[in-house]
Amino acid sequence: MNQQTARMREIARELLEKKEVEMVIGWEKGTFFYNSTPVFITKPEDADKLIWDDYCAVNFAKLLMDYRYLDGKVAVFVKGCDARGVNRLIQDLVIKREKIYLIGMPCPGMKDAKIAAKLGQEKEAEVPLEGKCLYCTHPNPVIYDVLIGDEVPVEIREDRFARIKEFEEKSSDEKAQFWASQYDRCIRCYACRNVCPACNCRSCVFDQNQDWLERAVDRSGNQFYGLVRAFHVAGRCIECGECERACPMGIPIMLLKHKISKDINELFGEYEAGLDPEGDLPLGMYKADDPDEFM
Amino acid sequence: MKSLSKANLPQFLEALNQSSQVYVPVVVDGTSRFIPWEQGAELVLDKNSNIPPKYLFFPQTEDLYGYKIYKQSGERTELPSAMEPFVVFGIRPCDVYSLEVLDDIFLTKGYEDVHYKQKREQGLLISLGCLEPEATCFCESWGLNPLNAPTADIMMLDGGDQFLLKAQTEAGQKVIDSQAGLLEEFQGEPPVGKPCTLTVETKGLMERLQPMFEHAVWDEISRKCINCGTCTYLCPTCYCFDVLNKTRGEEGIKYRCYDSCMYPEYTLMAGGHNPRPTKKERVRQRFLHKFQYIPERYEGQIGCVGCGRCIVKCPVNLDISRVITRLWEVEADV
Repeated sequence: MNQQTARMREIARELLEKKEVEMVIGWEKGTFFYNSTPVFITKPEDADKLIWDDYCAVNFAKLLMDYRYLDGKVAVFVKGCDARGVNRLIQDLVIKREKIYLIGMPCPGMKDAKIAAKLGQEKEAEVPLEGKCLYCTHPNPVIYDVLIGDEVPVEIREDRFARIKEFEEKSSDEKAQFWASQYDRCIRCYACRNVCPACNCRSCVFDQNQDWLERAVDRSGNQFYGLVRAFHVAGRCIECGECERACPMGIPIMLLKHKISKDINELFGEYEAGLDPEGDLPLGMYKADDPDEFM
Repeated sequence: MKSLSKANLPQFLEALNQSSQVYVPVVVDGTSRFIPWEQGAELVLDKNSNIPPKYLFFPQTEDLYGYKIYKQSGERTELPSAMEPFVVFGIRPCDVYSLEVLDDIFLTKGYEDVHYKQKREQGLLISLGCLEPEATCFCESWGLNPLNAPTADIMMLDGGDQFLLKAQTEAGQKVIDSQAGLLEEFQGEPPVGKPCTLTVETKGLMERLQPMFEHAVWDEISRKCINCGTCTYLCPTCYCFDVLNKTRGEEGIKYRCYDSCMYPEYTLMAGGHNPRPTKKERVRQRFLHKFQYIPERYEGQIGCVGCGRCIVKCPVNLDISRVITRLWEVEADV
């Protein structure tokens, strides 16, 4: 057992014993060596289920939404991306800061479970990092009550806009064709929406009796879904990459998200969502000198 | 038993394709699924397809009939039925069995789903047995044989540099006879397969679950679920659909489309009441439907064939095999 795991269990047990929190949300070992899965601990004796390993990629900020009306507090372990997800929920007035206790986990980057499944345990050493961890800019939690271990050095392995710069070179026709073929395989399971901490609306436009979008899975409907979701989280997307990780069809959803983030940076100045629970959102406020090239 | 040299597979498929459209498992943009065969197609025969072949018989979106509306009156128009014979090459035994489950659902109890029935009658199944089940496969736990699908028209096994074929129905025998030039008599021993490494206890599961509707374990199991529809949409036995209209001006099409019990909207009633208001009720429904309601309604039928697709694709590793194990572990009383 690694030091972080031991410390996680110790903290969780203590919080539950002292009744400071009603529940602790962390990771436990799942089916295979490459599965670490959310676990919800309510009894001190269950704290030993908690683990910290190379596969704790799931961002469970979103799962906090189920517990926003609890009387007591919920403790949650947060990596850099999880912490930004929590900030997203706080800033969007979905949860209150005083109702959660955050245990920070400096994150060295998680391994790619899909590739691990293919390679097998014998070749575990060859498993690369999750795609979303390559362009991560904040591996250390940006908000926490207690931190386990020391902060890790920030090592950005891949410029998050590198793929965009390449993509922008394509012609409009090429781009349209690319996205048509990507979204043609969308099965509209809504995993990308349901895992997204920025998709926290009480009622989603896509669930409203098909008034806005028909349930028929076809090219125009699928693209409409992808585009509306991308624009709805514009300026609020914390770039945790969970949508792309969760997508069962492997659609490169973050390409859309990064394009919008890049445009926001260029239009309204450098901005990264979810770093601070306070403050104005670039698309949620008005300034007299906002650019208006489209007018 | 006959043998078909692997080098002759394209010729075999081309010959079949003359009389019926042949569907084969191919990777399209990173996802394997059954698509119309064409010369040069690279078949994925080492593992099962990501998308189950169910959709050849029960597509995700399917037009049912057309209509015209003129103010207070209207008329119904039949859509052209273009159903011609087709062949599914390389369907796995678990997926063949899933069609038997769908047969019970769509064709028994006094109602026949004509859209499903047409395709089922036209589809010929050439099944490929699994010599080495994947780590997420557990069909054997449901009493299925990864090497044999008894209701497939032709059963096939990988024999190294050749495929071994055995006709199991009259239609299958016709195919074998028609391709006699490419096939040889096989006398040797057929290959032996490995067992599934993932196993669960399924005996008596229905009876076990009958008194567990209100059990606290459903709350525990459902907590990590994000209520997306991945597991249901990739499941070869899930069959829920919604019937909807696509109206454009005075004309429209009535179509059906997969629906998922994972969605709150699935049970939302007029007036706003929802009998399955939280993920607990929805997750419970998914598992009880598979393990209790289907066996109850269709006398011992199973609602899961152990293909493992939901285990592979669940974004939070809500593993159906672990759920079954957990359902056995907990104390039966609430």
